[in-house]
Amino acid sequence: MIWKIAKKEFLLNLVSSRFVIGFLLCLFLIPFTVTVNIDDYDSRMRVYRVDKANAENSLKYVRVYSYLRPEVVKPPQPLSIFCQGISGNVGNRVKIWLGEKPLFATGKAAIRDNPLLNSFFSIDFVGIIAIVMSLLALIFTYDACTREKEEGTLKLQLSNSLGRYKILLGKVLGVYLTLLPIVLFCYILSTILILHSPNISFSAGDWGRIILLFFASLLYFTVFVFIGLLISTRLKSSITSIIVCLFFWVFFVFIVPNLAVYMAESLKKVQSYDNLQYVLQDLDKEFQNRCDEYYKTLEPPDWGMNWNHSSDLYGGRILAGCSSSKMEHWRKKYVFSVPLRIDYADKKWNLQKSYLDSLDEQRNFAEMISLISPSEVFRLVSASLCRTDVASHYRFMDRVRRYRDEFIDFLRDRNIFSSFIYFTPQPQETFMTADEFISIRTGGECKNLKELNEWRDAHGGSFMKILRKVEIPGTTYSEYPFLDLSDVPVFRLQSENLLAGLKQVFLKKVAGLIIVSVVFFYLSFLSFLRYDVR
Amino acid sequence: MIKTIIIKELQNNLYSLRFHISFLLCIVIFAVGTIAFLKNQDAKMQEYSKYRAEFRNELKETAESNAGKLAVNRRAFIWRPRANAFISDCKENYFPNRFIYSAYNVYGFELGPGGTNPFLSTFQELNWSFIVSVVLSFTVLLFTFDTISGEKETGALALTLSNSIPRATVLLGKYISAIITTMVMAIFGIVLSILIVLFSHKVDFTSAVLMETLVFLLLIFLFLSCTAAIGTLSSVIAHKSNVGLLISLTFWLVFVVIIPNTAIFWANKIFSIEHADIISRKIYAAQEEHKKSAPPGSASSSDENPFMPEHKLRADLETKLNDAEISIKNAYYQDMFRQLERTRLVSLISPIALFDYMNEAVVGGGYARFKKVWSDLHGYQVQFLQFFKTIDAADPDSPHWYNPWYDYSTTKKPVDFEQVPLFEEKPLSFAARFSFLRNYLVVMILYIGVVFSLTLVLFLRYDVR
Repeated sequence: MIWKIAKKEFLLNLVSSRFVIGFLLCLFLIPFTVTVNIDDYDSRMRVYRVDKANAENSLKYVRVYSYLRPEVVKPPQPLSIFCQGISGNVGNRVKIWLGEKPLFATGKAAIRDNPLLNSFFSIDFVGIIAIVMSLLALIFTYDACTREKEEGTLKLQLSNSLGRYKILLGKVLGVYLTLLPIVLFCYILSTILILHSPNISFSAGDWGRIILLFFASLLYFTVFVFIGLLISTRLKSSITSIIVCLFFWVFFVFIVPNLAVYMAESLKKVQSYDNLQYVLQDLDKEFQNRCDEYYKTLEPPDWGMNWNHSSDLYGGRILAGCSSSKMEHWRKKYVFSVPLRIDYADKKWNLQKSYLDSLDEQRNFAEMISLISPSEVFRLVSASLCRTDVASHYRFMDRVRRYRDEFIDFLRDRNIFSSFIYFTPQPQETFMTADEFISIRTGGECKNLKELNEWRDAHGGSFMKILRKVEIPGTTYSEYPFLDLSDVPVFRLQSENLLAGLKQVFLKKVAGLIIVSVVFFYLSFLSFLRYDVR
Repeated sequence: MIKTIIIKELQNNLYSLRFHISFLLCIVIFAVGTIAFLKNQDAKMQEYSKYRAEFRNELKETAESNAGKLAVNRRAFIWRPRANAFISDCKENYFPNRFIYSAYNVYGFELGPGGTNPFLSTFQELNWSFIVSVVLSFTVLLFTFDTISGEKETGALALTLSNSIPRATVLLGKYISAIITTMVMAIFGIVLSILIVLFSHKVDFTSAVLMETLVFLLLIFLFLSCTAAIGTLSSVIAHKSNVGLLISLTFWLVFVVIIPNTAIFWANKIFSIEHADIISRKIYAAQEEHKKSAPPGSASSSDENPFMPEHKLRADLETKLNDAEISIKNAYYQDMFRQLERTRLVSLISPIALFDYMNEAVVGGGYARFKKVWSDLHGYQVQFLQFFKTIDAADPDSPHWYNPWYDYSTTKKPVDFEQVPLFEEKPLSFAARFSFLRNYLVVMILYIGVVFSLTLVLFLRYDVR
């Protein structure tokens, strides 16, 4: 009997205008959204390839270790075509610095070449499923009882010896028979589009996660089927029922997601990033002061001239052609400053970590509020399944920070910080005293620094002209080969198994959706048992 | 007669469940949104004041130690949280939030990590604009989807039209009553929100904000007229109210979800601009050209001797490098502006997008604000450079070889911080706002005219049997 009712409901639904419009809506929206997201994935893949090549190239052209800053570039997640999660908010590149632990990934703007376009939001497959499937579930169930009551057929059915639970189950089954092909159609259509896209390749684990996503979608629309059913069993007229259903829909799908984040922003305060930067700058100044204090204790070099020299604000320096005492002076500076820089990175990290924690606390709060909406739960579950959730990002950043530690250990083990190769590619045996250097370069015109200074004062304040008289091979850094970095640790992305990182999601969110479905069904059942069919 | 129809429809609407639910929802969101805004604004202002104090301190320290550094150091201007953002935030959290400049140039704008929490999903603040564009647009559709088809089903329409009432009058009466019903909700919500703002004493409700509120109310009227016309059109297209509802919902989904959320796709497909990495390569190539043709010594420097002749070569080279970067970047920024403006034109199909853009003009936020800051900052930079050149000219120890990157060959003397010009953002003038608003306003009025005329034509041929 249940089957007969289900079949009747299914056939009625099939010829209804709501089925036609719903199906057409999916037929238009799903391929369009998937195409948009495939296009977005392609452009992120293009950016990834450019960034990756740049990162590799930058490592090829390093002559000293003080400029060695490996860059980790994260490839875009193929499953982000289904659910973008926070992947659009966080970057894809992390540079490894000695003076700072990685806090955020950069490179977000590169995905969208025009940062002004960020004022437009984007929607993914999961977003469309969350909006359309919930709407269809409600549209197919809002009049499950009310319509038949209005038409008088419910009274007629119940005048037979038919259990009310059978009618209810039959109706639920009928809605499933109607909606299941639509959901299935959405997934099949998306899969076909993805398979036809040359730049996307899914692993077996990815396909497994898509199947899990399909089941999550079914669970999600089940919740809305039961919400619609409950409303239909509680109200007397179809028009009232659809109005109530639609307000629930707008509330869950459009208001709660915005409300949750906005409330979290208002109630959970986070220090501004720019103010954090000022605090970090204070630590940088403190570090610089300690270095300066130490440098004052060092014996000054015989000649302060940096002959062939380049440096940056982050401790990078490359030198060639300086006097041996100047080279030794710099070596002593680095022996002191590099470990101290790393220590200060740890000090800065304490502040950065508490900033990250406050961001996370704010996110947790938003997530907690958003749990009242099944669509938000579905989006969170989908982001976890598609590895675009916050937890996946945290795992990546933790791995990058561990990689930084490995990189520093590698340099420490080889005593790089205390060796000349940290800042000069020039072999130690080719270092000269200042007088030797001056004498050769000036072609013997000046024998020492005193004579050179006298020459400068007599010739307009610059001695560069006389110092260029005779070239000394090996005194410019560009003459030296680039470092062989084959033994430097390389960052590798760990491949994750099918269920990695999903335990909590299944235990909390999926279980929550199941419980909510059961509760709504039970309430619908109780309500229908007492339903006044007159 | 039209008055009678409007009164009857209003009575029907005001006593309906949909009015009660939507009114409650609307009022609650207005209240919650405003309270959340006040708390958020308070925290944002505290952080911003702290930031500005730090910024001034850093500027003061630099000015009092070395005017040359003051000129060459690149700084970021970050705009202040807007006090009238409870009307509309104009998605400013997602706009580039820092403008990089020095005395020598305005280098660009960035979307730094300081905007919003990157671990939160993108969202819209619960301000008046959001409530009107999402909740009230939805509500007005609920009041109009069955305005014709619903009456046809019950037979009331045939009865009404059996009297000597022109169809246009019936349609207009129903249309106006739907607008008035939703306007009532909007006005109640806005009054409640204003009362919360006034009693909180956290934000000044100035006469300018009052004016903005009145213009905003006018825009709400236009927007709801447009949405009501679309709902009535759905009702006239369909012969059954449930089909009318589905058509209305489809329109709403397309306008609220599809068009605004796929704009980036259209921007990249139809109005594509060059990729950022290609621009970087162009800048690099142009700069390399200058470096290759630079005379020997152009990279030399000395901290001790500003008059070293090589400093002039270096200043010339670095000015050329700077100009090369800026000319390529400025052309690229113009492409970005054009891309955004054209994409906005495409998204005008959605009345919700149109309403959002008009709100920018009303509150002086979003892209209108961005363009104003961008333009004003260029004016300020010229003034700042002029100030620095005057200081530098008075220093006999400076060779006056202006280098946009380093202070080797310009004055290194301290300067009184009080004399240093500071950039302060000025609000958009009413004339500028109106000029920004004008075209959107024309489009909105045309939109309403076209949709309502179509509805009227269809209704004149509507089979009421």
